[in-house]
Amino acid sequence: MRALCWNGINDLRVETVPDPVIVNPHDAMLRVTMSTTCGSDLHFIDGYIPTMRSGDVIGHEFMGEVVEVGPEVRQVRKGDRVVVPSFICCGSCWYCRHELWSLCDNTNPRADLQEPLLGYPTAGIYGYTHAFGGYAGAHAEYVRVPHADNDCFKVPEGLRDEQVVFFSDAAPTGYMGADFCGIQPGDTVAVWGCGGVGLMAIQSAYLLGAGRVIAIDRFPERLRMASERAGAETINYAEVDSVIEALKEMTGGRGPDACIEAVGMEAHGTGVQYAYDRTKQALHLATDRGEALRQAIVACRKGGTLVILGVYGVMDKFPLGVMMNKGLTVRTAQQHGQKYVPRLLEHAVRGELDPSYLATHRFSLEDAPRGYEMFKKKEDGCVRAVFVPSG
Amino acid sequence: MRALSVAVLRTATGVGFRAAFPAGRGVRPASEVNLSRPERAASALLGGVLLVRGLTRRSVGGAGIWVLGGILLYRGISGHSRLYEALGVNTAGVARREPGASEAAIEVRRSITIGRPADELYRFWREPGNLSRIVAPIGEVAPAGDGRTHWRVHVPLGRSLEWDARVMEDRPGELLRWESLEGADLPNEGSVSFRAAPRDWGTEVMLRFRFDPPGGVLGKAASERLSVVPGALAEKALRRFKSLVETGEIPTTERNPSARAGRGSD
Ligand SMILES: NC(=O)c1ccc[n+]([C@@H]2O[C@H](COP(=O)([O-])OP(=O)(O)OC[C@H]3O[C@@H](n4cnc5c(N)ncnc54)[C@H](O)[C@@H]3O)[C@@H](O)[C@H]2O)c1
Ligand SMILES: [Zn+2]
Ligand SMILES: [Zn+2]
Repeated sequence: MRALCWNGINDLRVETVPDPVIVNPHDAMLRVTMSTTCGSDLHFIDGYIPTMRSGDVIGHEFMGEVVEVGPEVRQVRKGDRVVVPSFICCGSCWYCRHELWSLCDNTNPRADLQEPLLGYPTAGIYGYTHAFGGYAGAHAEYVRVPHADNDCFKVPEGLRDEQVVFFSDAAPTGYMGADFCGIQPGDTVAVWGCGGVGLMAIQSAYLLGAGRVIAIDRFPERLRMASERAGAETINYAEVDSVIEALKEMTGGRGPDACIEAVGMEAHGTGVQYAYDRTKQALHLATDRGEALRQAIVACRKGGTLVILGVYGVMDKFPLGVMMNKGLTVRTAQQHGQKYVPRLLEHAVRGELDPSYLATHRFSLEDAPRGYEMFKKKEDGCVRAVFVPSG
Repeated sequence: MRALSVAVLRTATGVGFRAAFPAGRGVRPASEVNLSRPERAASALLGGVLLVRGLTRRSVGGAGIWVLGGILLYRGISGHSRLYEALGVNTAGVARREPGASEAAIEVRRSITIGRPADELYRFWREPGNLSRIVAPIGEVAPAGDGRTHWRVHVPLGRSLEWDARVMEDRPGELLRWESLEGADLPNEGSVSFRAAPRDWGTEVMLRFRFDPPGGVLGKAASERLSVVPGALAEKALRRFKSLVETGEIPTTERNPSARAGRGSD
C-alpha cells in the first residue's frame, strides 16, 4: 500500500510499504477514508521528539471503514464506518477502567523506552515515535487498529468525514482541556494557540458553560476563526505589549479563571525569553520553548486552573514558584479520547459542534508531504490539511 | 542503555586481558576452579561470541545476550562459577569449596500490579504454555516430566542456553519458587509471589531471580549495574504476563508496515 513515511528531520515521502495484517485477536483492519495533520507531528518532523526511526509510517488522527476483524472482535463489524482515537487503549486495565485512557497499561510494546524518563509507560499511539509504541500510522491506505471493540467508534448517519475526522484527536483534546477547567457558569477561560486543538478547546469551553473565552495567537486567519467560528474574543500577541496586561484589562484585573495552553514545545514569542529559549533549543541545550506556558502561568488568576494540552519535553527554567505561590491547580494529560468521543458525536448529531472548518486544505495521500509543508508554514491560512487515500 | 553497555564491555574485556596474562589478579588458584575444562572452553567461546553479538543488537534481548556473554566469558577464563559455588555445584572434580555466601550474586526483583485475583494469576503462571508466551522474545519453556520444566534461552548462531528447573516451594495463590538443576548452562534460582493490592488494583506480583554474576573481579558495583539488563528482561516478562491476563493478548508491532529494509516486520 501507499503510506506517508518519515525519513529524517523534515523529510517526509509517500512510499510503497507492505500492507498491514491482523496480528492480534482483537485487531481490526481499517481502510482509511480520511486522516489529518496534527501539531504534535510537527515536533518530531522538526526533530524535537526522539525515537522516530527512518521509514516509520506517520499519522494518528483518522477515520475509516472496517475491512477485516480479528477472531476475538465482538462488536465491530466489517463495513462499519468508524472514528478511532489516537491513543491505543485496551479497555480492561485499571487506567482504562478509570477513564484515564491515554495512560493504558497494555498497549505500549516499547515500555522500556519510556520508563527511564517517565517512570511508568503510557499507552501507545499510531505513527508517533517508538517510545509511544512504534505502531504504524494512519496516513496510509490501511491501518491496523488493536483492541477494536474498545477503540472504534461508529459514526452516526449523516455526518461527513470532515465533520468526524477531528474527533480522533483535536476535538477530544480540546474538549478534555475545557473539562479539566472545572468551569462554573460564567467563568472566563483563556486559550493560548488557535490551531485545531485550541479552536476545539474554545468551542468546548462554551459548550461546558464558560461565560467568555479569550483566544491568543498571532495569525490573523486563525484569530478570525476563533472569533467567527468559535465565538471567542481575541488577542494578537504580536500586536500587544503584554498579553498578561491585556488579559488583566479584559477581566477587571482578576485574570482568567482558567488558562488552557494549546501551543506546545515550539512556541513562538517576541521577547528576550523567546530568544533565550530558541537559542538553547537550537543548540540542543533544551528541548522546549515555553513562552506561551510561562505567560499562562502568570496570567491565570490566583487559585485558578492551568490546563496544559501542548506537548513538552523536559523543560528547564520552569516557573514552578509562580504556580505554587498563586495556588494554581494544574491539570494536564495526553488526550483521553475514548472518554469524550461518544459525547462529541452527540454534540455533532445535535448540530452543536461541527469541526469541519478546520479542514482548510484537502489533498490526496500522494500529496501529503505538500500538505505537511503548508500546515507547518501555515501557508494560505492552513489550519489542518486532510488526506484522502483514494482522492 | 547504550552508554551502559559500552562501559560494561570495557570492564569485561579488562577481565579478559588480565586473565590472559598469568600475573593478573583475575586468575584463580586451582582450588577455586569449579568448572570442568571443556565447560570452561565452551563457556569462554560462547561468551566471547555473545558479547560481540549482543553489542551489535540494540533490543532488550540483545542486551541480555551480552550480559550472558560477559558472564560466560568470565566463567570460561576464570574457571570459576559463583553460582555453582553458591549452590555447591562443582563440575571440575576438584575438592568442593565451602558454599560461601554469594554476596555478589546478581539478584533481580521487579514488581507489577495486575487487575486479577492472585489465584487466577498463580494458575496462569503454572501453565508452561503461558510461560512460554511470556518469555517468547528470549526463549521457551516446556514441561519436562516429573514436575520439571525445561528452559531454553536463545542466543546467536542458533545456539541456546538450557536448563531444567524444578519447583522447590509451592504455596498456591501465594508463591512459587524454583531452582535450576545440575547441569544447567546458566544456574539460577527464582520465585514469583502474589499479594493482594489495595482498592481495586488487583494483585501485586513480584518476580525475583538470582544467577551467577561475574562478581569477584568486577566488584559489587559493576554487578549491581549489570543487574539493570536482567532487570529489564524481568520487567518485560512481567508486562507481557500482565497484558496477556488482562487483555488476552500481548501488544506488538510485529509485521508493522514501514519503509525500512527488512520490510514486513518492524
Ligand atoms: N494533549 C494531547 O493529547 C494533544 C493532542 C493533540 C495535540 N497536542 C498538542 O497541542 C499543541 C497544539 O496542537 P495543534 O494541532 O493545534 O498545533 P498547531 O501547530 O496547529 O497550533 C499551534 C498554535 O499555537 C500558536 N502559537 C505559537 N506560539 C504562541 C504563543 N506564544 N502564544 C499563543 N499562541 C502561540 C501558533 O501560532 C499556532 O496557531 C501541540 O503542542 C500538540 O502537540 C496535544
Ligand atoms: Zn495529535
Ligand atoms: Zn488499558
